Amino acid sequence: MISRVAESCFWLHRYIERADNTARLLRVNRSFVLDVPLPAKNRWRPVIVVSGEEKRFTERFSVDAMSDSQKVQHYLTWDEDNPVSIVSSIRWARENARTIREVISVEMWEVLNDLWHWLRTGPGPALYGEDRDEFYQWIQSQNALFQGLCQNTVLHEQPFDFMHLGMLLERAGQSARIIDVEHHALGDLTSSGTAESAPEAAHWLALLHMCSAYEPFFKRNRRAPHGGAVIAFLVLEPRFPRSVLYCLDQAWNYLRRVGASTGRGGEVESAPLLADLVASMHTQSRKELLSAGVHQELTRVIDATTAICEAISDDYFNPTFSALS
Amino acid sequence: MSPSNVPSGVFSGYQPLADAYDETFAATGEPRAEVADVIAEIEQLGPAELAKRRKLANGAFLRSGITFTVYGEQQAGIERIFPFDLIPRVIDANAWAPIERGLEQRVQALDLFLADVYGEQRILTEGIIPRELVEGSAGYLPAMRGIRPHSDVHIHIAGIDLIRKPDGSFAVLEDNVRTPSGVSYVLENRAVMKRVLSEVFTRTPVRAVDQYPARLRDALTELAPTSGPLGANPDGDPVVVVLTPGRFNSAYFEHSFLARRMGCSLVEASDLVVHDDTVWVKDTSGLRRVHVIYRRVDDDFIDPEVFREDSLLGVPGLVRAYARGNVTVANALGNGVADDKAIYPFVPEMIRFYLSEEPVLGQIETFLCARDDDRKRVLDDLGRMVVKAVDASGGYGMLMGPQASQAELEEFAGRIKANPRGYIAQPLIELSTCPTWIDGQLVPRRVDLRPYIVRGKSSWVLPSGLSRVALVEGSYVVNSSQGGGSKDTWVLGDSDGGRARGQTQQQSQAGQQQESNQS
Repeated sequence: MISRVAESCFWLHRYIERADNTARLLRVNRSFVLDVPLPAKNRWRPVIVVSGEEKRFTERFSVDAMSDSQKVQHYLTWDEDNPVSIVSSIRWARENARTIREVISVEMWEVLNDLWHWLRTGPGPALYGEDRDEFYQWIQSQNALFQGLCQNTVLHEQPFDFMHLGMLLERAGQSARIIDVEHHALGDLTSSGTAESAPEAAHWLALLHMCSAYEPFFKRNRRAPHGGAVIAFLVLEPRFPRSVLYCLDQAWNYLRRVGASTGRGGEVESAPLLADLVASMHTQSRKELLSAGVHQELTRVIDATTAICEAISDDYFNPTFSALS
Repeated sequence: MSPSNVPSGVFSGYQPLADAYDETFAATGEPRAEVADVIAEIEQLGPAELAKRRKLANGAFLRSGITFTVYGEQQAGIERIFPFDLIPRVIDANAWAPIERGLEQRVQALDLFLADVYGEQRILTEGIIPRELVEGSAGYLPAMRGIRPHSDVHIHIAGIDLIRKPDGSFAVLEDNVRTPSGVSYVLENRAVMKRVLSEVFTRTPVRAVDQYPARLRDALTELAPTSGPLGANPDGDPVVVVLTPGRFNSAYFEHSFLARRMGCSLVEASDLVVHDDTVWVKDTSGLRRVHVIYRRVDDDFIDPEVFREDSLLGVPGLVRAYARGNVTVANALGNGVADDKAIYPFVPEMIRFYLSEEPVLGQIETFLCARDDDRKRVLDDLGRMVVKAVDASGGYGMLMGPQASQAELEEFAGRIKANPRGYIAQPLIELSTCPTWIDGQLVPRRVDLRPYIVRGKSSWVLPSGLSRVALVEGSYVVNSSQGGGSKDTWVLGDSDGGRARGQTQQQSQAGQQQESNQS
C-alpha cells in the first residue's frame, strides 16, 4: 500500500486512542478529586503531566493554573493550540480519515465525522456545561463505536494492521505514562501487603479506573488493592487489554503481519526493536519490576516505544532508494 | 403508451421558452415524440410521489458526501452538495449517433494537432493556423517539442462541451482536453436515479454508464511503457495511479472516486519519486515502479524542475521520465494549446487538414480579440457578446454582455485592450432548456452537455454525459461554481432495448447529413 496512506491509518487510530484516553482520564479524575482531600496543587497537575503538556501549559498560564480544575479541563478538552486536546485529536483523526476515504469504511467515516460536528457545532459544548461526565462518556462511546466498526467493516489486511499498530503503541505509551505519574505521587511500593491509608487506597482505585481496569483487576486480585499489585497488573497482566505488556504483545503481532505482507520483515529496523522490548518484558517477574524501580522501567518502555514509532516511520512511511539497495 | 394530448399533472402548466429549443416539449406544448415514452412514465408517478423520490435522491447525495469545493469564499474549502435535478435529460439514439461520431472525429483531429505542433508543425508552415496564436498560447509548452507520447496519444480523456441551438442542432461550445472533470457525477447521478426511479428504467432502454472506469483503466493500461529499468511490473500488470493535488482541490471527491472504481492507488505528488528517469511510488513494500499516471494536476505544477519552481504539487524529474518514455502521463503535457479558446475557431480547419473530412458537429461563431477587425467588432457590440478568457474554465473570468452593467462592460473593454490575445468573444446563444424542478413546479432552465471521450489504442464515447443546468431563472451559466446543478443524461438505445450497432451507424450517417445541412 501507499506509504502515505499507511501513515494516515497509523495516525488516525493514534489520535482516536489519544482522545479516548484523555476523555477517560478527565472523567475519572473529576470523580477522584471528590473522594480524596488532596492539596489543590496535586489534584489536576498529574493529568497535565500525563498528557505531556506541563511545559506548554505552565508557560502559557502559570504553575498555579494547574490547580484550576476548570482551566485544566478546558485546556485538555477544547484548546485548539494544545495538540493533544480532545478537540485537536478528533480534528486530526478526521483530517487523516479524509485523505484515506477509499481505505476506511463509510461507517467509520460517518461516526468520526458526526463526532467532529457534535463537538464543533452540535450539542457537545452545551453538554460540557450541563453534564460533563455524560460529555466525556459520549466521546468514549463514539470512539468505541469507531473501533468496533473498524473491526467489523474493513478487510483485515495491511491498512487494518497499521491502524492497530498505531492504536496499540499509543495505548502502551499512555498506560505507561499514567502508571508512572500516578505511582510517583504515591511513593514506596515494596511494602506490599500492608494496609494502606484511605486516601492511598482511593488513589490506587482511581489509577485502575483511569486504565479501565477496575473490574478486571478484581477478577485477578481478591484482596484490597495495594500499590504493588496494581502496578504489576497494569504493566504485566498478559490478558488485560490495556496492560503495557498486552499492548506491546499485540503490536508485535501486527508488526509481524506487516512484515509478512510487505515481504520486508527481515530487513526493517522496527521489528527487532519491538521484539526485544516484548521479550524483555515477558521474562520479567513482578518482583523484578517492583524492585528494579518502576519509574526506571516505565521510562525504558516509553523511550523504546517512541523509538519503535520512529523506526516504523522510517521503514514503512518513508522508503528510500538507499534503504533498498 | 405515448399520450395523445397534453400531459396533465407533473408537466401540466410547463411553458417552454419562446426563443430556445426545449429538450422535452415542442413549441406546441406536446412532448417531443422521441421522449414521449419517458415523459409518460414520469407523469404516471404523479406529483406527490415524484416529490417523495426527489427527497430520497437528495438524501442519498448528502449521506454519501458527493461534494465539491467552492473557491473564493470567505472560509477556505467549503464542501457543497452539487444540486441535482430529478427530471432526466433524454437524448434518443438518432440524435446521439452523430454526436458520438462528431466527438470521435473532433478529438482525433485535436490529437493530431497536438502531435503536429509538438512535432513537424505542418499546420503552421502551411499557414492553416497562425503561428503566433499557437506559440503565444499559455498552454503551449516549448519544452514538449520533439517528445512523442506512447502511441502518439495526447488526449486520453476529453470532455467536450456541447450546447443545443434553437434549431435543435448540437454544437461544440468548448473543448476540454487537459483535465476535464465531472464524470463522477455522471456515474453517481445514475446510481441514485436507478434507485429512486427504478420502474422507469425497467421500461426505458437507457444505455448504461457503469463501464466508464473499466474503459478508462483499459485505455491507460494499454498505453503503459515497456521501457525503463525493471521493465514491466513483475506482477504482470502495469501500475496505474491517479495523481491528485490533494483533498483541498475542488474535484478531490472525483479523484478518490475514480481511483476506487479503477482499483488503483490515489497518490499525491509527495508519494512519487523519480530515480534514474523512472517514476516510483513510496509503498510500504518499498518503492514500486509506476507506469501510468492519470494526473489531475495542471501542467504548470507538475514538475518544479521544468515549470513552476514553487510548486509543491509536482514531482521533480517527472518530465525527464516522461521525455524518456518511461512513464505515460494522461492527459499528455502541453495539451492546453489544443483547448485554448483562441485556437477553437480553427478546429473545423484542423479536421479538414488532418482527416480530409467535413466536421460532423458544428460550433459557435467566434471573434478573436487578437485580430484588429474582430476586436473592433467585439468592442463595438460588447453588450451582445459573451467574452471569455482563452485559458480559463469553470465559468470564471467571463463576461455575459447582455446581462452586464455599464461598469462591467467598461472594465472588460479595458481588459481586452490590455491583453487582446487573452480574450475571445461569441454572440450569446440561446441554450436549450429542460424541465427543471424549482420551488415545487417544473420550469424551463438552460442546459449544456459534456460528453466524455476515452482514448487508448482505440476511442470510446461514454453514452451519456454531464448535463449541467443553470438553476437561476434567465441564467446561461451552468458551471457548478456559478450556481449550476446537474441532471442525469439518458442516451436511449433502440426502443426494443437492443443495441444493434449496424443500425446506429446508419442513423449516424443520416444524422450527419442533417447536421451539416443545419450548420
